[in-house]
Amino acid sequence: MKIHFLLPLLLIAFSSCAREADLVVYCSLDQVHSEKILKLFADRTGLDVMGAWDVERNKTVGLVNRLLAEQNHPRADVYWNNEIAHTIRLKKAGLTQPYASPSAEGIPFGYKDADHHWTGFAARARVFLQRTDKEVALPARVYEMAEPQFARHGAMAAPLTGTTLTHFSALSLNDSSTHVLTWLDKASQSGLKIGAGNADVMRRTCEGDVDWCLTDTDDAAAARRNGHPVEVVFPDQGEGGRGALLIPNTVCMIANAPHPDAARQFIDFVLSAEVEALLAASDSEQIPLRPGVDAPDYVKLPGRDFHATTVNWEAVANELDQRFPDFQKQFVK
Amino acid sequence: MIFHSGRSPWPWRFLALGALLLAAFWPLAPLLQTLLSPQEWASIFEPRLAGLFAQTLWMSALSGLIALLVGWPTAVLASRLHLPGFGWLHFLLPLPLLLPPLLLAQAWHGLTGMDGPWASVWSLGLAYAPLSALFVARALRHQQASAHESTLLVAGPRFALNEMFRVSAPAAILGATLAAVFASTDFAVPDYFSSLGDKFSVYPAEVFNHWRSYQGDPATLKQGAAVAAPLVAVSALALYAAFVLRDRAGALESNSSRIAKPMRCGSLCIPLSVALLSFSVLLFFLPLGRILYETGATGPESQGSWASHATAAFSDAVQRGRSDLGHSLALGALAGAFALLVAPFLAHFWLQLGGHHQPWRKRAARLFGTLLALPLLAPAVGTGLGAILAFNRPGWEPFYDSLLMPGLVLGGRYLPIAVFLLAERMSRIPQARIESARLTGMPYLFRLLYVRLATCRDAWLLGAGLVAVFAIRELDLAVLLPAANASAAVRYYNALHFARDNFVAAFGLLITLLLFLPVAIHALFSKPNDA
Repeated sequence: MKIHFLLPLLLIAFSSCAREADLVVYCSLDQVHSEKILKLFADRTGLDVMGAWDVERNKTVGLVNRLLAEQNHPRADVYWNNEIAHTIRLKKAGLTQPYASPSAEGIPFGYKDADHHWTGFAARARVFLQRTDKEVALPARVYEMAEPQFARHGAMAAPLTGTTLTHFSALSLNDSSTHVLTWLDKASQSGLKIGAGNADVMRRTCEGDVDWCLTDTDDAAAARRNGHPVEVVFPDQGEGGRGALLIPNTVCMIANAPHPDAARQFIDFVLSAEVEALLAASDSEQIPLRPGVDAPDYVKLPGRDFHATTVNWEAVANELDQRFPDFQKQFVK
Repeated sequence: MIFHSGRSPWPWRFLALGALLLAAFWPLAPLLQTLLSPQEWASIFEPRLAGLFAQTLWMSALSGLIALLVGWPTAVLASRLHLPGFGWLHFLLPLPLLLPPLLLAQAWHGLTGMDGPWASVWSLGLAYAPLSALFVARALRHQQASAHESTLLVAGPRFALNEMFRVSAPAAILGATLAAVFASTDFAVPDYFSSLGDKFSVYPAEVFNHWRSYQGDPATLKQGAAVAAPLVAVSALALYAAFVLRDRAGALESNSSRIAKPMRCGSLCIPLSVALLSFSVLLFFLPLGRILYETGATGPESQGSWASHATAAFSDAVQRGRSDLGHSLALGALAGAFALLVAPFLAHFWLQLGGHHQPWRKRAARLFGTLLALPLLAPAVGTGLGAILAFNRPGWEPFYDSLLMPGLVLGGRYLPIAVFLLAERMSRIPQARIESARLTGMPYLFRLLYVRLATCRDAWLLGAGLVAVFAIRELDLAVLLPAANASAAVRYYNALHFARDNFVAAFGLLITLLLFLPVAIHALFSKPNDA
């Protein structure tokens, strides 16, 4: 019987010390895509890179909370976020430090922080995904989704997390919170299905529960790759349309990062045109932000294939903080 | 030698309690401070939250009821009766616990198209039914032969069967209560079914959303803890009530040195076999079959056969998930090791505390059991944040970044399961055997090892095994605690987002297979324990 006690003691003793990595990256982009980039960087530099990933259920909040909880003694060097609002939240909390990466040259100004605390790259667009095997009544603009003739056949995620929360915060900033909250109410009343996340509404479209949904380009790409009869339509195009919303990945350096040199090296790498091209060619079909990046034909580009809206991201992040409780009251009941 | 430290159990108990405080209660300390901050409580008295709370209560109570109604008879039929295939089904009992509940939910939706709150109740009830079944199986394994045989002789198999249900009722209720507690804290499954049909929400979603407002300061941490408090309190009350029921039923039992043999059913064999098969289909075969189908299922425009997609998915799962699986197994082994070391002392202490006839000692034992379960009832995100605040200190980096830290936190969180199982089994050791060991003057540790644990080895290992399984399945803490991040749970849920459904199904089955392998080997080679 002693062995039952001694073995666990030995196990605990052997596991009590960890080797320190040369670089720690917290990453909210899907693991299957981002770990390849981390590995490529590790292979090229010979650094021991430790990655930590979030999951969709936590909607970026897991790692952001970890960064906030670790703020007195940071363990991460770089945060690679798959969206932007929480990066700005970290900046406001004083958890990031400026770094003007030479690799950020060429990335449009609207996707970079003026103080160099964060830089955007490789984006997802908010799009309609519609079935191609039937006649679909598809709205042309986001606000048309609430019209009964469209709403009955469509779905969108609740604006509680991820890109949908950012999207509706941006709308709220542009058109007033009252307008957006009233619209959301009308959309629900009209029969628009409200899902838990973008991947969920995409699945419902693939399964034929609804004819169309509002989702992200990476989810749409997954649906097409899985052999479902669907196609992407960019909303708010044409005359008077404000354009589709592009939500970039963002990368920032953590204040008092334990390995600042390696962190700068990694940020330079991840912001390079090469990584934007790799992400565009990946299954998630991320949209390059800088012009001239080598992207596959099926990846639609802003300016060439669709019109993208311009956004003041700092203001959107502030709006998100203020609107979240309202959205929560409306959708968590 | 330290093992001969004396006859008093207290040094060992203090060590075990110290380990428990370090691993499970220290991370909770920032949350427990909420109890001292009345101003944080104002936010929880909102009508919207009351509605959510009520919805969560009835849903988790019904899930617990399903766990009871399915798990209890399945365990009785599979562990105490001579039915065709009962040996196999008995060792398959823990299988659904090894699958992520969300994977089971997706399987049930795929099979039936179900959605909405009732689907969530059903799916969570079946996902946690094995908890009830395992507690019952443990209790019945050592049913008194004298009582069973006299009932069988005098009243026949039908009454003997009733007797089995009566004897195992407290264990079944405790298992079902734990199932209800797990169901009440899960929001991934309700969220999933909500996204498929009628929109509904549950209270844990509100708790989770409060952590989203965390600003890295004690105030926002406490707000999250305050919102979580009512759910923790109700779960604790439910557990306390289960302990009361157990104590009342336990008073009818006495210890015996001879255990009953599996019963032959005579004319009841066919209906009981059909019943066992039906429960098995519900618990294992339908969901597992659907998940297997999902490994190769694709859309109508996809190229290639089901087999080619399934093969690719399994190959992808092995290739991508191999190191994470290894990591998860190591983490589970650590959490299990912690339970293996600490659970015996706490189980024995708990048993002794309640083993006297004074009512105050019974109440104290119930309170101790409920307190022990507090880390299990606390929201995982809060525990994770608390662990970061507790252990992320200058100079502590080797410990903070090591696998030991999450191993301890997860081991402490799920320790109550091991303690409850072991205590239940220890309570059935014949008193004469314990007394004779005491009279020989054996030191406490030797008595515990060679008298109690030698008799309860299966329950001891099963408890530690369950702690390991729950540690491997845990997601929120895996995201938050450094060395736990490279785990199978994180990769599984990360892939779930990106509609990599073939991979998710294949990886889920791979995790299950890997976790189940030791159970299967143990079941195939173990001999029945004589008590």
